[in-house]
Amino acid sequence: MRAIAIARVSIRRIVRDRTALFFIVVLPVIVILIVGAAERGFTTFRVGVVDLGAGQAGRQLTTAFEHSSDLAVSRYATLAALRKAVARGELNVGVVLPSGMDVTEGRGGTVAVGVMAEQANSSQQAAATAVSSVIAGQGAKVQAARFASVHGSGTFEENLARAGSLQPHVAQVGLRSQTADSSHNVLPEGFSYSAPTMLVFFVFLNALAAGASIIETRQLGMYERMTAGPVRRGTIIAGETLAYFTMALLQATLIVVVGGVAFGVSWGDPLAATVLVALWALVGAGAGMLSGTLFHTPEQASAIGPTAGIALGMLGGCMWPLAIVSSTMRQIGHLTPQAWAVDAWTSLLSRSGTISSIAPQLAVLGAFAALFLVSATVRLRRVVA
Amino acid sequence: MSLRADSVLRVRWWLSFTSDGARCRGPAAGNGDLVPIVSTGNTAQVPDEPVLRCAELTRRFGERLAVDDVSFSLDAGEIYGLLGPNGAGKTTTIKMVCGLLEPDGGTITIGGRPAAGDLSVKSLVGYVPQDVALYSDLTARENLAFLGRLYRLHGALLEERVSEALELTDLSDRAGDRVDSFSGGMKRRLNMAAGLLNHPVLLVLDEPTVGVDPQSRHAILERVQTFGRGGMAVLYTTHYMEEAERVCDRVGIVDRGRLVAEGTRRELVARLGQRDRIELGAAGDLERLAAAVRTVPGVESADTADHAVHLVAEDGRRILPAILEAAERAEVALNSVDVVEPDLEAVFLHLTGTALRE
Amino acid sequence: MRNAFVIAHKDLRQRLRDRSAIVLGLVAPLAIAALMSVAFKGSDTFHFTMGVVDVDRGPVAAGLLKALDAPGLRQIVTVKTIASKRSAADAVRAKSVAAALVVPAGFSASIEGGDPLSLVTLTSVNQTVAGDITSSIATSFIAQLNADRLSVATALAAGVPTSQSAHLEALAAGFQIPERAVQRSIGAHKLKTISYYSPGMAIFFLLFTISFTARSFFVDRAQGMIERIRAAPVRPLEILAGKAMSVLVYGVASLGTVAVITSAAFGANWGAPAAAALLGLAMVVAVVCVTALVMCIARTQRQAEGISSIAVFGLALLGGNFIFLSSSPPVMRTVALFTPNGWAMRGFTDLSTIGGGLGTVAEPVLAILSFSVVAGSAAALLARRAVAA
Repeated sequence: MRAIAIARVSIRRIVRDRTALFFIVVLPVIVILIVGAAERGFTTFRVGVVDLGAGQAGRQLTTAFEHSSDLAVSRYATLAALRKAVARGELNVGVVLPSGMDVTEGRGGTVAVGVMAEQANSSQQAAATAVSSVIAGQGAKVQAARFASVHGSGTFEENLARAGSLQPHVAQVGLRSQTADSSHNVLPEGFSYSAPTMLVFFVFLNALAAGASIIETRQLGMYERMTAGPVRRGTIIAGETLAYFTMALLQATLIVVVGGVAFGVSWGDPLAATVLVALWALVGAGAGMLSGTLFHTPEQASAIGPTAGIALGMLGGCMWPLAIVSSTMRQIGHLTPQAWAVDAWTSLLSRSGTISSIAPQLAVLGAFAALFLVSATVRLRRVVA
Repeated sequence: MSLRADSVLRVRWWLSFTSDGARCRGPAAGNGDLVPIVSTGNTAQVPDEPVLRCAELTRRFGERLAVDDVSFSLDAGEIYGLLGPNGAGKTTTIKMVCGLLEPDGGTITIGGRPAAGDLSVKSLVGYVPQDVALYSDLTARENLAFLGRLYRLHGALLEERVSEALELTDLSDRAGDRVDSFSGGMKRRLNMAAGLLNHPVLLVLDEPTVGVDPQSRHAILERVQTFGRGGMAVLYTTHYMEEAERVCDRVGIVDRGRLVAEGTRRELVARLGQRDRIELGAAGDLERLAAAVRTVPGVESADTADHAVHLVAEDGRRILPAILEAAERAEVALNSVDVVEPDLEAVFLHLTGTALRE
Repeated sequence: MRNAFVIAHKDLRQRLRDRSAIVLGLVAPLAIAALMSVAFKGSDTFHFTMGVVDVDRGPVAAGLLKALDAPGLRQIVTVKTIASKRSAADAVRAKSVAAALVVPAGFSASIEGGDPLSLVTLTSVNQTVAGDITSSIATSFIAQLNADRLSVATALAAGVPTSQSAHLEALAAGFQIPERAVQRSIGAHKLKTISYYSPGMAIFFLLFTISFTARSFFVDRAQGMIERIRAAPVRPLEILAGKAMSVLVYGVASLGTVAVITSAAFGANWGAPAAAALLGLAMVVAVVCVTALVMCIARTQRQAEGISSIAVFGLALLGGNFIFLSSSPPVMRTVALFTPNGWAMRGFTDLSTIGGGLGTVAEPVLAILSFSVVAGSAAALLARRAVAA
């Protein structure tokens, strides 16, 4: 009971601090929203178009871009603005429709549509390829009209209209896509990506930051006062652990609920998700208590804690999928508990995993929790004494 | 009054030697302490003017009148105590003197110059706040050097002043240590040292002995007396009656924002005439006891403080039986009865109707 | 103003004595920049192996294989011939190829008829980019085939007798779609991850100065230090100026050091030194003004800590210090332009890509300074209260 009293005081002190509430409640939700929105739409490429000629051919090509489901098109008035947007990365690719397209096509020349994409950049190159195929599809009518005018009869314009009306009726050579595998190793896009990664990230980060409260309690001489009373050191440690675990669990639950209700995240198998959340809260509690015993001043905890939390989050795949980094970095990443937690969520969200499929990850997380809690206890015993 | 005349003389003597602003050490006093005395530097003291003159000072906080028409003045070498309970307006008065608060009415002149809006007048004043105001993450020397620079000291003079202040407060051997490693008493001493760097004409001390152990308190009081003997004017607030009696040349009694009386201890006590102060130690309902004894003819005022009822009565010894009778009627058992020689506490009780509480 | 220097000097000494200042101002941004530089080493360049299964063995399939060997494609794709569709699917699953393209049997022959066959791509859910590129290459190739088919159909419709269709098909194969995509230079450097996140992290940790300074002001005040300083011949404005100056010096030192080290050690491109310095200085000025504003809004140390933490993380999030906002919806890019760090990030992005000098940063610097003027004026209005309280 005394442990619960100690836990209640600790929780009350954390909850009463409105700044802490901002970091526990508001910030994660905002970050999930922003990251989820930014990572949405990997499948559509952002394409900017500047039409220097403003003729019929240019208009038709622009319309063709807009009708392509792979492309999200925005129009730009000047070449400079388009160039800037591509350079800044606001666009995957910039398309420059040259002036005099109609004249060139009528004369039988070839229109060179400028495509600005960075050679070495994967998403820009993929976008450029997508743009090229739209251009090719649009050019088919022009080729047909020109061909018919040369080898058949009628003017270019007449045949262009003829080709346009024929195009839907000529059987097309098609492309069928087949997926060779179904085992996703990355999280889904959008909020289903941002919510689980940010759950992992923030529960751990906030636990580290909350370590400052242990230091404060220590500096205030409260542990001394408690041990002066009929309270065993073990009770104090149990109380603190309970407080940190409860706070971590509350935050994780909040993110799960907000993610599910507001952002439509489906968290996968309920049992597996519950166990994973609880175990992660335990890892967080251990890390928070450890930070409370490792640092000497609250300032240190609030300077080094977040830095360490961000760094571990990056290494562990909370900021970007570990699938995109080199295998060495992936191995280093798996030295952090974050990587295992994100792997477990990936299994639950992307591969309909169950508790048995994430058993290895749960085991590793359990080991991390035990390691943190035991070392925190050992250190706290020394601190409390 | 002899004391006042003496100190004025001493300052005049001193001024005649140091009008060029050179640093000067005062006559060795008491146990041979080095005493810094008035160094006017760029701001010369106007002769025949008191060091500090407060006239009709008034200050409100919202509806509350914290300081109400307070006037007093201090000469060089004089230690003036503002005596009153917590919340009487002592600190507000001091803050106005130090330029930390603007008075709503009245004027303050320091060294004959109006204090309002004149930054250089602040150089004449040394301020020792009630709570220790020092950077705990800097060393003693760094703290003093920083504050000294704010008083436009620099170079060799700054170093000299810092060393002098450290020496004066017996902290020379700890000069390079961070303040957060200091004991409470050492912090207090350093707090005071910081007020002496600019060789003030007027030293303002706000309750310097609150929360200090008896030994340190003794040392602080002794030092304050030394400053006064060295020619510095000292304005001192306290709610300890004994302290005021011991160190102050003159005392101003403050209650609810008003200066109700001022004078030397002898002058103030003389105002009591034949009155005595009686302390009734009792267990039980002290308020009822106080109410009961107030009805006794000859009792002028009665108030409870520190597990006792304090009362001022005309010719206390004569009416003592009547007082004991009243106590019996009130059914309060007395532990002790003391008839005390007239002192400042009696004066305070007499003038304000309330007892000074610890 | 001498007193302002004295106060700034003292503040800096305290700041340096506290190790967390060095952690936040130097160690943290460098550590995270290093982490990012290692994590993304090599991932900025994209290359994959594509499996090709030619069961058709006809002329059209040969044309496809030839097209795949184009120099432009060789930079991103290595082609690997695989015997059967089944082994291609195995190869995709085994990750030995990222995607595969299958030309079915009889494909060439079917092209000339009325019911052409389809090309087939085999992709992996974990290699979406490779899959997309494979599909796009196939689509481009198919587009030419379909254009040829449309050409023949149009010629026939324009009066060429049906008997000549075989001849027409042969003629059409010589035609090329007259609208072609040509690579056009952006006229800018590539935006490297490290070049974005070096200023990003440097500015993020610079923002912590707001918390630190505001907090220390209220600690000083609670300890009676501000009062003690005011009892000395010091103007209230000098106290604020001193605090501002210490933030300025610390900020410039932190930003400058991180810029130099990330440029030298991780190859971050901060752009032309003079322009980058001006932009950084403007950002530090903005931090000074926000700090002043927080100090004036807050009444207690607790409030100062709360408001500044929210300001730090709010600005960092909205301004794009964490998240590469360029790829986010336009509304978020617009919101970023209401923050000084959002403008700074845009300025540093432009400097490292488009290049140029002072002209490139003129707009961001003006925007940041306008923000500073607004924040600074609001602070000045509230300043008297803060110092007098």
